[in-house]
Amino acid sequence: MTSTQVNPPKSTSGGNGTTPLIRLNSVTKVFLTDEVETHALSGIHLDIRDGEYISIAGPSGCGKSTLLSILGLLDTPSDGSYALKGHEVANLSFADRARIRNREIGFIFQSFNLIGDLTVYENVELPLTYRGMSSGDRKTLVTQALDRVGMAHRAKHLPSQLSGGQQQRVAVARALAGKPAILLADEPTGNLDSRTGEAVMNLLKELHAGGATICMVTHDERFAQHADRTVHLFDGRVVEDSRVAA
Amino acid sequence: MTADFKFAIRQLLKAPAFTIAAVTVLALGIGVNTAVFSLVNTLFFAPPAYSKPHEMVQLFSQDKKDPKKFRGFSYPTYLDVRDQNTVFSGTMAFNLAFVGIGQKGDTHRAFSAVVTSNYFSVLGVPLARGRAFLPEEETPGRNTPVAIVSYRYWQKHDLDPGMVGSQILINGRSFTIVGIAPEGFVGTMQILSPEVWLPMSVYDQVANDFSSDESKTTLTDRTGTQLRILGRFKPGMTAATAKPALEGLAANLETAYPVEQKDQTFLTAPVARNSVSNNPKAEGGLKAIAPLLLGMAVIVLLVACLNLANMLLARGTARRKEVAIRLALGGSRWRIVRQLLVEGFVLAMLGGIGGLILGLWSSDLLVASMRRLMPLDIVWLSGPSPAILAATFGFCLLGTLMFALGPALKISRSALVFDLKEHAGEDVVRRRWKFLPRNPLVVVQIAFSLALITAAALFIRGAGKAASVDTGIKPGASFVLEVDASLAGYDPKRSQELYRNLSEKLAALPGVEHVSITAIVPFGMFDVSRKVERAGIHPAPDAKPSTAAEGLAFDTPWTSVGADYFSTVGLPVIRGRAFTEAEATQPGPKVAIIDEILAKKLWPEGDALGQRIQYAASNAPSASGNDAHAGGSADLNETGKNQETIEIVGIVPATRHALFEKDLAGSIYLPFARGFQSDVSFFVRFHSLDSKNEVATANLLRRTVQEVDPALPILALRTFAQHLDSNLDLWLVRAGAALFSIFGVLALGLAVVGLYGVKAYSVARRTREIGIRMALGAQAGAVLRMIMREGSIMLIAGVSMGLLLAVATGKILSGILYGVSALDPVAFTVAPLLLTAAALIATWLPARRATRVNPVQALRSE
Repeated sequence: MTSTQVNPPKSTSGGNGTTPLIRLNSVTKVFLTDEVETHALSGIHLDIRDGEYISIAGPSGCGKSTLLSILGLLDTPSDGSYALKGHEVANLSFADRARIRNREIGFIFQSFNLIGDLTVYENVELPLTYRGMSSGDRKTLVTQALDRVGMAHRAKHLPSQLSGGQQQRVAVARALAGKPAILLADEPTGNLDSRTGEAVMNLLKELHAGGATICMVTHDERFAQHADRTVHLFDGRVVEDSRVAA
Repeated sequence: MTADFKFAIRQLLKAPAFTIAAVTVLALGIGVNTAVFSLVNTLFFAPPAYSKPHEMVQLFSQDKKDPKKFRGFSYPTYLDVRDQNTVFSGTMAFNLAFVGIGQKGDTHRAFSAVVTSNYFSVLGVPLARGRAFLPEEETPGRNTPVAIVSYRYWQKHDLDPGMVGSQILINGRSFTIVGIAPEGFVGTMQILSPEVWLPMSVYDQVANDFSSDESKTTLTDRTGTQLRILGRFKPGMTAATAKPALEGLAANLETAYPVEQKDQTFLTAPVARNSVSNNPKAEGGLKAIAPLLLGMAVIVLLVACLNLANMLLARGTARRKEVAIRLALGGSRWRIVRQLLVEGFVLAMLGGIGGLILGLWSSDLLVASMRRLMPLDIVWLSGPSPAILAATFGFCLLGTLMFALGPALKISRSALVFDLKEHAGEDVVRRRWKFLPRNPLVVVQIAFSLALITAAALFIRGAGKAASVDTGIKPGASFVLEVDASLAGYDPKRSQELYRNLSEKLAALPGVEHVSITAIVPFGMFDVSRKVERAGIHPAPDAKPSTAAEGLAFDTPWTSVGADYFSTVGLPVIRGRAFTEAEATQPGPKVAIIDEILAKKLWPEGDALGQRIQYAASNAPSASGNDAHAGGSADLNETGKNQETIEIVGIVPATRHALFEKDLAGSIYLPFARGFQSDVSFFVRFHSLDSKNEVATANLLRRTVQEVDPALPILALRTFAQHLDSNLDLWLVRAGAALFSIFGVLALGLAVVGLYGVKAYSVARRTREIGIRMALGAQAGAVLRMIMREGSIMLIAGVSMGLLLAVATGKILSGILYGVSALDPVAFTVAPLLLTAAALIATWLPARRATRVNPVQALRSE
């Protein structure tokens, strides 16, 4: 059995450590459909340092979601390397990728993706369950996460009993609960009205202020401004990588 | 409504895979019911093939002092009843006789009905060709060789236009065919038909000598009990209104014939549909099977409908948006339900057509398998009768309500706004309820299936035990050769010579170890029993002896055998000796060999060897006290009236005579010369018998018979193993096992497909959820366990419920199971294991598919 342990790097504190949390080197992704090659990503170089808040922006079909899938180990690059905490993870087995995903990555989806027949508490608990954590430890982490997003009072509710904004807060709590190395957010405000969207963005900002590393895909320039740094993609290539003025 | 049908057909054409699956499931469910209904209907409900059957009754002669005892009628008594009764517009009498039909050397066994001349007119049945019997052809002693043949006989002869007037060889004697029975006419029974009808005047010539003690009486003897009487009530007459008149008639006859009619009274009962009996309750057991079979078949239909309900619910989920649109456009809920019911009905009708074809085909198959073993013609009208069509239509309607109504009501209960927004086909759970609504149906399916599989397992175990039943004899590598010299025109004396000659020839064949003649072969079509008692004891007529010493008689299976019989069949003589060659071939001192059981019954404390016994009178008090056996003597020299005593010269181990013999009844063996019978079998025991050489050996035996006399008909020639295998009781047990296995396998298949369908559908609809779980780090094993766990919960619930149902089913079936208890541990272990294994595979397949969900694709709508 393959055992790939991603240990915390020695320089994880602060955003200026020598080893980036994530390093993509010449990553490409080619989809083959009906014998037609589609280059979704072409030679992506990207470093994300611990504690960074980065937004990936670009027009529809530019490869944002593909990049996020590779960052989240949901998908593998066709070529290139992907180091997470200094360890190569591009070509790990399905099981190893699942394990790392569970421990190091927190996902926030556009349409929340809460499981309908699980309560708020159970939804947040789910990734911890897969980690094999004891029930007591899980309870502590779930309670902390729900407290952090202000949803502790709704722990016993079903997702269908919550508003969209509340559901997204639960999704954020779920992503946070396992204390991952990075939060990956895919259009987290896409299914929310502007006011609720703004509230969620503020929540992410708060999390970042608390030390979380966040990588967010968005096509909304206003929300992209919440990040420290914005990477612009076009036709699968990074066309701009800029720091946002404080 | 027309629009509903058009839309329904369009919907079904649009989803051909669903339609084919649904129609197949329904065809199986309805087919089983149609098959069982067609069998049960024909046997128990369909009108008999004679006119105004409600007017016809059978007359029974009952012992007033022992109302459980019934007997037949003598011909003189029949004449008295016919002429003196005031309740019947017509009265006829008949009995069955086993005859040999065909050319010499090519004779087959068949049943004939020996009837009074008014048989067809009382039944109101016009002949297809020719004429009925004439009154003078009924007169006892006239021995008029005329016959009426069945329609099937005529069909077998290609509907020969010259059939009437031609000759038919019966028991080696030429009879003139004077008529042909109409198509479908089977006599007084439902499907079992005589091949030929003979006039009463030939009764004494064709009556079987093994039928009963009383058969030794001639037809004109008033003490006889050979005949069964059927009468047609006069208009307005009923059993109740006829009762006093018939009791009066019986009383008058008792006064006129105080000995012959002593204690006899008359009563009527509906004509037996599947047997010819002296007892009005002879068919009680058979009738009990009908609701059982129908019940099991309906369970299969129920399982099929549950399966289909699941499929419709699954389809309904995908059609939620369509239903929401219809409701949004102002359609009432009833309108939606009607639309969905119409779709269900169209499916049911399609399934009904398939089921009808399947049902008729399978019932023909069942009858064909029975036909191979029965000596009676089985007249089975293939094709759909109005009753079968109506029943199948009924099954379709019942099926529609069972599988379509529930889903229709559920699907039509739409959350309008939500459903209009919902992605069509996506599984969205809005309730905190782990089981989706369709899952309880799977649980019920599993439960019913387990009950049926367990029932099948019980029957299969019974069939296994029946097939390996210990007969008590060990004839090794033996052939059984049945011949009847009387069919070749031999009289008893010449027959004995012929058999002696044949026996010697057979014994001289290479490889033959022993040869013996026997009147009765265990597990054959017939058995004969005699009442025997200790010799020299004459209890008073009204005495009620309770022990053999007081004169209690014992009804005992009887046969007559050759000198080498016990060596041939591997039955050691425990004490005393076997018969000598002289005893077996020449009438000499009266000797018998009995088995340990009869010895113990007759002399419980003493030694039976060297003691003397005698045949008891037919009305002597006996331990068994019933006439369950065919009964009677085959001894030309020894009748019930002959009180000569028989010495017991040997004692042998007990043997079994029939499959359904609960307690071994004992046996009595006479030397063949003292128990001559024209229909005999030879056990030909070889040192060894290679299965590859069986055909060659059979041909050798056949040639040997032909060398002795080419005209001697071979009625049966097979190994003893094949003889046992063709036993009718065994067929019944096996048919039961086959029938219930079909039920079980169908139910198992449907339940497994149902479970697979639900899980596969669930996985398909939950792809996004599974994708989310995987994105959150769920390993393939975790997903597999999740799906398997959900399936297992259903399985455990279903098996638990099913075991309770199986216990109840076992209890219901206990009366017809052979050699297994209703709670047989093997059946109750194997059946749940089989179901569990199949169900786990059915769950594992979609679960494995779930582990292969690509989270990126599953979440692509992001």
